[in-house]
Amino acid sequence: MEFSYEAKDSYAEVKADGRLNMVSAPKLREFVTDVIAGGSNRIVVNLENTAFMDSSGLGALIGCLKAARQAGGDLRIAAVQPQVRMVLELTSMDKVLTAYPSAEQAFGND
Amino acid sequence: MVSPTELRRAVVIEDDPDIRGLLVRVLAKQGFEVTHAGTGMAGVAEVRLQQPDLVTLDLNLPDIDGLEVCKLLREFSDAFIVMLTARADELDKLTGLDNGADEYISKPFSPRELQSRINALFRRRPSAEADSASRSELQRATEVQQSLLPKEDIRVAGYDVAGLFRPSRSVGGDFYDWYQTPDGLHLTFADAMGKGMGAALIAATVRAVMRSTGRRQDLDGAFAAASKAIATDLDSSNSFVTLFHARLAAATGTVSYVDAGHGLALHIQAGGTARRLPSGGPPVGAWAGTQWPQSDLLLAPGDSLVVVSDGVLDVFESVEAFTAAVLEAAQNQESAQSASGAIMALAPADTAEDDVTVVVVRRLPEGAAA
Repeated sequence: MEFSYEAKDSYAEVKADGRLNMVSAPKLREFVTDVIAGGSNRIVVNLENTAFMDSSGLGALIGCLKAARQAGGDLRIAAVQPQVRMVLELTSMDKVLTAYPSAEQAFGND
Repeated sequence: MVSPTELRRAVVIEDDPDIRGLLVRVLAKQGFEVTHAGTGMAGVAEVRLQQPDLVTLDLNLPDIDGLEVCKLLREFSDAFIVMLTARADELDKLTGLDNGADEYISKPFSPRELQSRINALFRRRPSAEADSASRSELQRATEVQQSLLPKEDIRVAGYDVAGLFRPSRSVGGDFYDWYQTPDGLHLTFADAMGKGMGAALIAATVRAVMRSTGRRQDLDGAFAAASKAIATDLDSSNSFVTLFHARLAAATGTVSYVDAGHGLALHIQAGGTARRLPSGGPPVGAWAGTQWPQSDLLLAPGDSLVVVSDGVLDVFESVEAFTAAVLEAAQNQESAQSASGAIMALAPADTAEDDVTVVVVRRLPEGAAA
Protein backbone atom coordinates (compact mmCIF):
# COMPACT_ATOMS: atom_id res chain seq x y z
CA MET A 1 0.00 0.00 0.00
CA GLU A 2 1.24 3.47 -0.91
CA PHE A 3 0.46 6.68 0.93
CA SER A 4 0.76 10.21 -0.33
CA TYR A 5 -0.16 13.54 1.10
CA GLU A 6 -1.08 16.89 -0.38
CA ALA A 7 -1.88 20.10 1.50
CA LYS A 8 -4.93 21.87 0.04
CA ASP A 9 -6.37 25.26 0.98
CA SER A 10 -8.57 24.15 3.84
CA TYR A 11 -7.60 20.52 4.38
CA ALA A 12 -4.91 17.91 3.89
CA GLU A 13 -5.60 15.09 1.46
CA VAL A 14 -4.15 11.66 2.20
CA LYS A 15 -4.32 9.04 -0.53
CA ALA A 16 -4.15 5.39 0.44
CA ASP A 17 -3.64 3.22 -2.64
CA GLY A 18 -3.87 -0.56 -2.43
CA ARG A 19 -5.20 -2.98 0.17
CA LEU A 20 -5.86 -1.60 3.63
CA ASN A 21 -5.22 -4.65 5.81
CA MET A 22 -3.38 -5.75 8.93
CA VAL A 23 0.01 -5.01 7.34
CA SER A 24 -0.78 -1.56 5.97
CA ALA A 25 -3.21 -0.38 8.69
CA PRO A 26 -0.52 0.61 11.24
CA LYS A 27 1.30 2.47 8.47
CA LEU A 28 -1.79 4.49 7.57
CA ARG A 29 -2.24 5.34 11.23
CA GLU A 30 1.37 6.47 11.48
CA PHE A 31 1.17 8.44 8.24
CA VAL A 32 -1.95 10.33 9.27
CA THR A 33 -0.62 10.93 12.80
CA ASP A 34 2.44 12.52 11.23
CA VAL A 35 0.24 14.76 9.06
CA ILE A 36 -1.72 15.82 12.16
CA ALA A 37 1.49 16.35 14.11
CA GLY A 38 2.62 18.56 11.23
CA GLY A 39 -0.25 20.95 11.95
CA SER A 40 -3.16 19.77 9.77
CA ASN A 41 -6.27 18.71 11.66
CA ARG A 42 -8.74 18.64 8.76
CA ILE A 43 -7.94 15.46 6.90
CA VAL A 44 -9.56 13.82 3.90
CA VAL A 45 -8.58 10.23 3.27
CA ASN A 46 -9.09 9.63 -0.44
CA LEU A 47 -10.02 5.95 -0.87
CA GLU A 48 -10.42 6.11 -4.64
CA ASN A 49 -7.74 3.46 -5.12
CA THR A 50 -8.41 1.41 -1.99
CA ALA A 51 -9.99 -1.75 -3.36
CA PHE A 52 -10.07 -3.69 -0.12
CA MET A 53 -10.28 -2.97 3.60
CA ASP A 54 -10.41 -5.48 6.46
CA SER A 55 -11.20 -4.96 10.14
CA SER A 56 -7.65 -3.78 10.89
CA GLY A 57 -8.00 -1.20 8.13
CA LEU A 58 -11.28 -0.02 9.59
CA GLY A 59 -9.56 0.17 12.98
CA ALA A 60 -6.88 2.41 11.49
CA LEU A 61 -9.46 4.78 10.00
CA ILE A 62 -11.23 4.98 13.38
CA GLY A 63 -7.90 5.66 15.11
CA CYS A 64 -7.09 8.43 12.61
CA LEU A 65 -10.55 9.96 13.09
CA LYS A 66 -10.07 9.99 16.86
CA ALA A 67 -6.64 11.60 16.45
CA ALA A 68 -8.01 14.32 14.14
CA ARG A 69 -10.91 15.09 16.51
CA GLN A 70 -8.49 15.09 19.43
CA ALA A 71 -6.48 17.75 17.60
CA GLY A 72 -9.64 19.86 17.25
CA GLY A 73 -10.31 18.90 13.64
CA ASP A 74 -12.03 16.14 11.72
CA LEU A 75 -11.32 13.30 9.33
CA ARG A 76 -13.55 12.48 6.39
CA ILE A 77 -13.34 9.84 3.72
CA ALA A 78 -13.94 10.26 0.02
CA ALA A 79 -14.45 8.23 -3.18
CA VAL A 80 -15.25 5.03 -1.25
CA GLN A 81 -15.20 1.86 -3.39
CA PRO A 82 -17.83 -0.93 -3.15
CA GLN A 83 -16.04 -3.39 -0.84
CA VAL A 84 -15.03 -0.64 1.58
CA ARG A 85 -18.56 0.76 1.52
CA MET A 86 -19.89 -2.71 2.30
CA VAL A 87 -17.63 -3.02 5.37
CA LEU A 88 -18.64 0.46 6.56
CA GLU A 89 -22.35 -0.29 6.19
CA LEU A 90 -22.25 -3.77 7.77
CA THR A 91 -20.46 -2.43 10.81
CA SER A 92 -22.66 0.70 11.02
CA MET A 93 -19.46 2.74 10.89
CA ASP A 94 -20.88 4.71 7.96
CA LYS A 95 -22.76 6.69 10.62
CA VAL A 96 -19.48 7.75 12.22
CA LEU A 97 -17.13 7.95 9.24
CA THR A 98 -18.97 10.13 6.75
CA ALA A 99 -18.23 9.30 3.12
CA TYR A 100 -18.15 12.03 0.46
CA PRO A 101 -18.16 11.55 -3.32
CA SER A 102 -14.84 13.35 -3.76
CA ALA A 103 -12.05 14.82 -1.68
CA GLU A 104 -13.00 18.35 -2.80
CA GLN A 105 -16.54 17.92 -1.46
CA ALA A 106 -15.53 16.50 1.93
CA PHE A 107 -15.01 19.88 3.58
CA GLY A 108 -17.00 21.71 0.89
CA ASN A 109 -19.63 23.15 3.22
CA ASP A 110 -17.46 24.24 6.11
CA MET B 1 14.37 -2.93 7.07
CA VAL B 2 11.26 -4.86 7.95
CA SER B 3 9.61 -7.16 5.45
CA PRO B 4 5.96 -6.27 4.94
CA THR B 5 4.69 -9.57 6.24
CA GLU B 6 6.63 -9.34 9.49
CA LEU B 7 4.67 -7.52 12.14
CA ARG B 8 6.60 -6.49 15.23
CA ARG B 9 4.88 -5.20 18.32
CA ALA B 10 6.21 -2.92 21.01
CA VAL B 11 4.78 -1.74 24.31
CA VAL B 12 5.93 1.57 25.82
CA ILE B 13 5.62 1.77 29.61
CA GLU B 14 6.26 5.38 30.57
CA ASP B 15 4.39 7.82 32.80
CA ASP B 16 5.56 11.08 31.21
CA PRO B 17 3.14 11.75 28.33
CA ASP B 18 5.67 13.71 26.24
CA ILE B 19 8.38 11.08 26.45
CA ARG B 20 5.77 8.37 25.92
CA GLY B 21 4.58 10.11 22.75
CA LEU B 22 8.14 10.42 21.49
CA LEU B 23 8.91 6.76 22.15
CA VAL B 24 5.73 5.71 20.36
CA ARG B 25 6.65 7.83 17.35
CA VAL B 26 10.23 6.58 17.17
CA LEU B 27 9.19 2.93 17.44
CA ALA B 28 6.33 3.32 14.96
CA LYS B 29 8.83 4.78 12.50
CA GLN B 30 10.89 1.62 12.95
CA GLY B 31 7.94 -0.46 11.84
CA PHE B 32 6.59 -1.52 15.22
CA GLU B 33 2.93 -1.62 16.03
CA VAL B 34 3.09 0.29 19.30
CA THR B 35 0.77 0.45 22.28
CA HIS B 36 1.52 2.08 25.61
CA ALA B 37 0.76 2.26 29.31
CA GLY B 38 1.32 4.97 31.90
CA THR B 39 1.76 2.81 34.99
CA GLY B 40 3.60 -0.39 35.87
CA MET B 41 0.51 -2.50 36.44
CA ALA B 42 -1.20 -1.28 33.26
CA GLY B 43 2.06 -2.02 31.46
CA VAL B 44 2.16 -5.61 32.68
CA ALA B 45 -1.45 -6.08 31.53
CA GLU B 46 -0.66 -4.53 28.15
CA VAL B 47 2.34 -6.81 27.60
CA ARG B 48 0.19 -9.80 28.53
CA LEU B 49 -2.40 -8.71 25.96
CA GLN B 50 -0.09 -7.69 23.11
CA GLN B 51 2.67 -10.31 23.46
CA PRO B 52 5.13 -7.76 22.06
CA ASP B 53 8.64 -8.30 20.70
CA LEU B 54 9.94 -5.22 22.49
CA VAL B 55 9.15 -3.36 25.71
CA THR B 56 10.53 0.02 26.74
CA LEU B 57 10.27 0.41 30.47
CA ASP B 58 10.74 3.54 32.54
CA LEU B 59 12.55 2.87 35.82
CA ASN B 60 10.51 5.40 37.81
CA LEU B 61 6.82 4.71 37.50
CA PRO B 62 4.06 6.15 39.70
CA ASP B 63 2.81 2.85 41.09
CA ILE B 64 5.53 0.22 41.18
CA ASP B 65 9.29 0.25 40.59
CA GLY B 66 10.41 -0.45 37.00
CA LEU B 67 12.70 -3.24 38.26
CA GLU B 68 9.68 -4.90 39.83
CA VAL B 69 7.77 -4.54 36.57
CA CYS B 70 10.68 -6.15 34.73
CA LYS B 71 10.60 -9.12 37.10
CA LEU B 72 6.85 -9.54 36.56
CA LEU B 73 7.25 -9.35 32.78
CA ARG B 74 9.96 -11.98 32.75
CA GLU B 75 7.55 -14.48 34.28
CA PHE B 76 5.63 -14.71 31.02
CA SER B 77 7.30 -12.68 28.28
CA ASP B 78 10.53 -13.15 26.36
CA ALA B 79 10.30 -9.74 24.68
CA PHE B 80 13.41 -7.58 24.54
CA ILE B 81 13.20 -5.16 27.45
CA VAL B 82 14.88 -1.77 27.14
CA MET B 83 15.02 0.07 30.44
CA LEU B 84 15.06 3.86 30.51
CA THR B 85 16.31 5.87 33.43
CA ALA B 86 16.65 9.60 34.06
CA ARG B 87 19.52 9.02 36.47
CA ALA B 88 22.75 8.47 34.60
CA ASP B 89 24.50 7.48 37.85
CA GLU B 90 22.20 4.50 38.19
CA LEU B 91 23.26 3.06 34.85
CA ASP B 92 26.46 1.37 36.02
CA LYS B 93 24.74 -0.17 38.99
CA LEU B 94 21.85 -1.42 36.86
CA THR B 95 23.91 -2.93 34.08
CA GLY B 96 25.94 -4.85 36.64
CA LEU B 97 22.84 -6.65 37.90
CA ASP B 98 20.85 -9.34 36.23
CA ASN B 99 17.48 -7.61 36.21
CA GLY B 100 16.10 -9.38 33.21
CA ALA B 101 16.44 -6.29 31.02
CA ASP B 102 18.33 -6.52 27.72
CA GLU B 103 19.43 -2.92 27.34
CA TYR B 104 19.69 0.27 29.41
CA ILE B 105 19.41 3.80 28.10
CA SER B 106 19.68 7.01 30.08
CA LYS B 107 17.46 10.04 29.55
CA PRO B 108 17.72 12.32 27.75
CA PHE B 109 18.29 10.05 24.78
CA SER B 110 18.40 10.80 21.10
CA PRO B 111 15.89 9.00 18.88
CA ARG B 112 18.77 7.83 16.72
CA GLU B 113 20.56 6.25 19.68
CA LEU B 114 17.39 4.44 20.68
CA GLN B 115 16.88 3.19 17.13
CA SER B 116 20.38 1.84 16.75
CA ARG B 117 20.29 0.08 20.14
CA ILE B 118 17.01 -1.57 19.23
CA ASN B 119 18.30 -2.65 15.83
CA ALA B 120 21.31 -4.17 17.55
CA LEU B 121 19.06 -6.14 19.91
CA PHE B 122 17.05 -7.59 17.04
CA ARG B 123 20.21 -8.48 15.10
CA ARG B 124 21.25 -10.59 18.07
CA ARG B 125 18.22 -12.80 17.76
CA PRO B 126 18.76 -15.39 15.03
CA SER B 127 15.97 -15.30 12.50
CA ALA B 128 15.30 -19.04 12.76
CA GLU B 129 14.54 -18.54 16.42
CA ALA B 130 12.25 -15.63 15.60
CA ASP B 131 10.48 -17.83 13.07
CA SER B 132 9.91 -20.62 15.51
CA ALA B 133 8.86 -18.11 18.16
CA SER B 134 6.19 -16.67 15.87
CA ARG B 135 5.09 -20.15 14.86
CA SER B 136 4.68 -21.19 18.44
CA GLU B 137 2.78 -17.97 19.14
CA LEU B 138 0.37 -18.85 16.36
CA GLN B 139 0.08 -22.31 17.86
CA ARG B 140 -0.76 -20.81 21.25
CA ALA B 141 -3.22 -18.37 19.69
CA THR B 142 -4.97 -21.29 17.98
CA GLU B 143 -5.22 -23.08 21.33
CA VAL B 144 -6.71 -20.02 23.00
CA GLN B 145 -9.22 -19.64 20.20
CA GLN B 146 -10.23 -23.31 20.23
CA SER B 147 -10.69 -23.20 23.99
CA LEU B 148 -13.38 -20.52 23.58
CA LEU B 149 -15.77 -22.70 21.61
CA PRO B 150 -18.60 -24.44 23.47
CA LYS B 151 -17.62 -27.94 24.60
CA GLU B 152 -21.05 -29.49 24.51
CA ASP B 153 -23.80 -29.72 21.96
CA ILE B 154 -26.91 -27.91 22.92
CA ARG B 155 -30.31 -29.56 23.18
CA VAL B 156 -33.37 -27.36 23.26
CA ALA B 157 -36.67 -29.15 22.73
CA GLY B 158 -38.18 -28.22 19.38
CA TYR B 159 -34.90 -26.83 18.00
CA ASP B 160 -31.82 -28.05 16.19
CA VAL B 161 -28.69 -26.03 16.94
CA ALA B 162 -25.23 -26.39 15.38
CA GLY B 163 -22.03 -24.38 15.02
CA LEU B 164 -18.89 -24.81 12.95
CA PHE B 165 -15.56 -23.04 13.16
CA ARG B 166 -12.59 -23.23 10.83
CA PRO B 167 -9.52 -21.23 11.87
CA SER B 168 -7.35 -19.53 9.27
CA ARG B 169 -3.61 -20.08 9.26
CA SER B 170 -3.02 -16.66 10.76
CA VAL B 171 -5.68 -17.05 13.51
CA GLY B 172 -8.41 -14.44 13.35
CA GLY B 173 -10.50 -13.33 16.30
CA ASP B 174 -13.68 -15.32 15.60
CA PHE B 175 -15.54 -17.37 18.17
CA TYR B 176 -19.05 -18.39 19.09
CA ASP B 177 -20.43 -19.43 22.43
CA TRP B 178 -23.78 -20.74 23.61
CA TYR B 179 -25.36 -22.20 26.69
CA GLN B 180 -28.75 -23.42 27.74
CA THR B 181 -31.02 -21.36 29.96
CA PRO B 182 -34.33 -22.30 31.61
CA ASP B 183 -36.10 -20.46 28.77
CA GLY B 184 -34.02 -21.59 25.82
CA LEU B 185 -30.51 -20.49 25.00
CA HIS B 186 -28.06 -17.60 24.88
CA LEU B 187 -25.82 -17.22 21.85
CA THR B 188 -22.76 -14.99 21.42
CA PHE B 189 -21.02 -14.58 18.08
CA ALA B 190 -17.99 -12.32 17.89
CA ASP B 191 -15.05 -11.30 15.75
CA ALA B 192 -12.20 -9.34 17.29
CA MET B 193 -10.24 -7.00 15.04
CA GLY B 194 -6.91 -8.19 13.70
CA LYS B 195 -5.23 -11.55 13.92
CA GLY B 196 -2.97 -13.66 16.10
CA MET B 197 -2.65 -13.77 19.87
CA GLY B 198 -3.92 -10.21 20.35
CA ALA B 199 -7.23 -11.02 18.66
CA ALA B 200 -7.52 -14.38 20.44
CA LEU B 201 -7.04 -12.79 23.86
CA ILE B 202 -9.61 -10.10 23.15
CA ALA B 203 -12.02 -12.84 22.07
CA ALA B 204 -11.36 -14.62 25.40
CA THR B 205 -12.23 -11.46 27.33
CA VAL B 206 -15.41 -10.96 25.34
CA ARG B 207 -16.54 -14.52 25.96
CA ALA B 208 -15.94 -14.24 29.71
CA VAL B 209 -17.73 -10.89 29.98
CA MET B 210 -20.72 -12.03 27.93
CA ARG B 211 -21.08 -15.16 30.07
CA SER B 212 -20.90 -13.11 33.26
CA THR B 213 -23.87 -10.96 32.23
CA GLY B 214 -26.04 -13.92 31.24
CA ARG B 215 -27.95 -13.91 34.52
CA ARG B 216 -29.34 -10.44 33.98
CA GLN B 217 -32.91 -10.71 32.83
CA ASP B 218 -33.01 -7.61 30.63
CA LEU B 219 -30.99 -8.06 27.45
CA ASP B 220 -30.63 -4.30 26.98
CA GLY B 221 -29.11 -3.78 30.40
CA ALA B 222 -26.96 -6.91 30.16
CA PHE B 223 -25.53 -5.85 26.81
CA ALA B 224 -24.93 -2.28 27.95
CA ALA B 225 -23.01 -3.51 31.00
CA ALA B 226 -21.04 -6.06 28.98
CA SER B 227 -20.12 -3.66 26.20
CA LYS B 228 -18.92 -1.11 28.74
CA ALA B 229 -16.64 -3.67 30.38
CA ILE B 230 -15.32 -4.86 27.02
CA ALA B 231 -14.77 -1.33 25.70
CA THR B 232 -12.73 -0.44 28.79
CA ASP B 233 -10.54 -3.44 28.12
CA LEU B 234 -10.20 -2.62 24.43
CA ASP B 235 -9.36 1.02 24.93
CA SER B 236 -5.67 0.44 25.59
CA SER B 237 -5.21 -1.74 22.53
CA ASN B 238 -6.98 0.46 19.97
CA SER B 239 -9.05 -2.50 18.96
CA PHE B 240 -12.71 -3.39 18.60
CA VAL B 241 -14.94 -6.39 18.36
CA THR B 242 -18.07 -7.07 16.33
CA LEU B 243 -20.62 -8.77 18.52
CA PHE B 244 -23.96 -10.45 17.91
CA HIS B 245 -25.72 -11.61 21.05
CA ALA B 246 -29.11 -13.33 21.03
CA ARG B 247 -31.48 -14.92 23.53
CA LEU B 248 -34.02 -17.45 22.42
CA ALA B 249 -37.28 -18.00 24.27
CA ALA B 250 -37.91 -21.52 23.06
CA ALA B 251 -41.63 -21.76 23.86
CA THR B 252 -42.61 -18.81 21.66
CA GLY B 253 -39.74 -18.78 19.16
CA THR B 254 -38.92 -15.17 20.06
CA VAL B 255 -35.29 -14.23 19.48
CA SER B 256 -34.16 -11.01 21.17
CA TYR B 257 -30.83 -9.79 19.90
CA VAL B 258 -28.35 -6.95 19.87
CA ASP B 259 -25.98 -6.50 16.94
CA ALA B 260 -22.88 -4.36 17.41
CA GLY B 261 -21.28 -3.97 14.00
CA HIS B 262 -21.68 -7.56 12.84
CA GLY B 263 -24.49 -7.31 10.30
CA LEU B 264 -24.21 -10.90 9.05
CA ALA B 265 -27.10 -12.62 10.82
CA LEU B 266 -29.96 -13.87 8.67
CA HIS B 267 -33.51 -14.87 9.44
CA ILE B 268 -34.31 -17.63 6.97
CA GLN B 269 -38.01 -18.34 6.73
CA ALA B 270 -39.56 -21.69 6.01
CA GLY B 271 -41.10 -20.25 2.85
CA GLY B 272 -37.63 -19.76 1.33
CA THR B 273 -36.87 -16.11 1.94
CA ALA B 274 -33.96 -14.61 3.82
CA ARG B 275 -33.88 -11.34 5.70
CA ARG B 276 -30.53 -9.96 6.78
CA LEU B 277 -30.54 -8.35 10.20
CA PRO B 278 -28.71 -5.02 9.92
CA SER B 279 -26.36 -4.11 12.75
CA GLY B 280 -27.74 -1.74 15.36
CA GLY B 281 -24.57 0.28 15.79
CA PRO B 282 -20.76 0.22 15.48
CA PRO B 283 -18.60 -2.59 16.90
CA VAL B 284 -17.93 -2.56 20.65
CA GLY B 285 -14.89 -0.42 21.40
CA ALA B 286 -14.99 1.40 18.06
CA TRP B 287 -16.80 4.55 19.10
CA ALA B 288 -17.32 5.97 22.58
CA GLY B 289 -20.85 6.62 23.78
CA THR B 290 -22.52 4.12 21.48
CA GLN B 291 -25.79 2.50 22.56
CA TRP B 292 -27.19 -0.47 20.77
CA PRO B 293 -30.92 -1.11 20.41
CA GLN B 294 -32.43 -4.49 21.18
CA SER B 295 -34.45 -6.05 18.35
CA ASP B 296 -36.73 -9.06 18.22
CA LEU B 297 -37.73 -11.58 15.62
CA LEU B 298 -40.05 -14.56 15.64
CA LEU B 299 -38.74 -17.94 14.56
CA ALA B 300 -41.78 -19.74 13.18
CA PRO B 301 -41.68 -23.53 12.87
CA GLY B 302 -39.26 -24.36 10.03
CA ASP B 303 -37.44 -21.00 10.29
CA SER B 304 -33.73 -20.63 11.02
CA LEU B 305 -31.48 -18.01 12.52
CA VAL B 306 -28.13 -18.19 10.70
CA VAL B 307 -25.09 -16.22 11.87
CA VAL B 308 -22.03 -16.16 9.64
CA SER B 309 -18.59 -14.54 9.97
CA ASP B 310 -17.10 -12.14 7.43
CA GLY B 311 -14.74 -14.90 6.28
CA VAL B 312 -17.68 -16.19 4.22
CA LEU B 313 -18.69 -12.71 3.03
CA ASP B 314 -15.18 -12.10 1.66
CA VAL B 315 -15.73 -14.46 -1.27
CA PHE B 316 -18.81 -12.56 -2.52
CA GLU B 317 -19.07 -9.35 -4.50
CA SER B 318 -21.94 -7.93 -2.48
CA VAL B 319 -24.02 -8.49 0.62
CA GLU B 320 -26.98 -9.38 -1.62
CA ALA B 321 -25.00 -12.13 -3.39
CA PHE B 322 -23.85 -13.40 0.01
CA THR B 323 -27.40 -13.48 1.38
CA ALA B 324 -28.71 -15.35 -1.67
CA ALA B 325 -25.91 -17.92 -1.49
CA VAL B 326 -26.40 -18.56 2.24
CA LEU B 327 -30.14 -18.97 1.70
CA GLU B 328 -29.56 -21.49 -1.07
CA ALA B 329 -26.97 -23.42 0.96
CA ALA B 330 -29.21 -23.56 4.05
CA GLN B 331 -32.32 -24.73 2.26
CA ASN B 332 -33.42 -28.35 2.10
CA GLN B 333 -30.81 -29.50 4.59
CA GLU B 334 -31.40 -32.46 6.86
CA SER B 335 -30.12 -30.76 9.97
CA ALA B 336 -28.60 -27.60 11.40
CA GLN B 337 -25.24 -29.38 11.24
CA SER B 338 -25.49 -30.10 7.51
CA ALA B 339 -26.75 -26.56 6.85
CA SER B 340 -23.71 -25.17 8.72
CA GLY B 341 -21.44 -27.38 6.63
CA ALA B 342 -23.01 -26.25 3.36
CA ILE B 343 -22.64 -22.57 4.36
CA MET B 344 -19.03 -23.04 5.43
CA ALA B 345 -18.28 -24.71 2.09
CA LEU B 346 -19.16 -21.39 0.39
CA ALA B 347 -15.70 -20.19 1.49
CA PRO B 348 -13.25 -22.77 0.12
CA ALA B 349 -10.58 -23.66 2.67
CA ASP B 350 -7.65 -23.04 0.32
CA THR B 351 -8.69 -19.47 -0.45
CA ALA B 352 -10.08 -18.34 2.89
CA GLU B 353 -7.70 -15.85 4.50
CA ASP B 354 -9.88 -15.32 7.52
CA ASP B 355 -11.53 -17.59 10.07
CA VAL B 356 -14.89 -18.94 9.03
CA THR B 357 -17.62 -19.40 11.63
CA VAL B 358 -21.24 -20.46 11.15
CA VAL B 359 -24.04 -20.98 13.68
CA VAL B 360 -27.49 -22.26 12.74
CA VAL B 361 -30.46 -22.25 15.14
CA ARG B 362 -33.34 -24.01 13.48
CA ARG B 363 -36.86 -24.29 14.83
CA LEU B 364 -38.14 -27.71 13.89
CA PRO B 365 -41.26 -27.87 11.73
CA GLU B 366 -44.42 -28.68 13.65
CA GLY B 367 -44.85 -32.41 14.26
CA ALA B 368 -41.12 -33.14 13.88
CA ALA B 369 -39.42 -35.03 16.70
CA ALA B 370 -36.92 -33.00 18.74
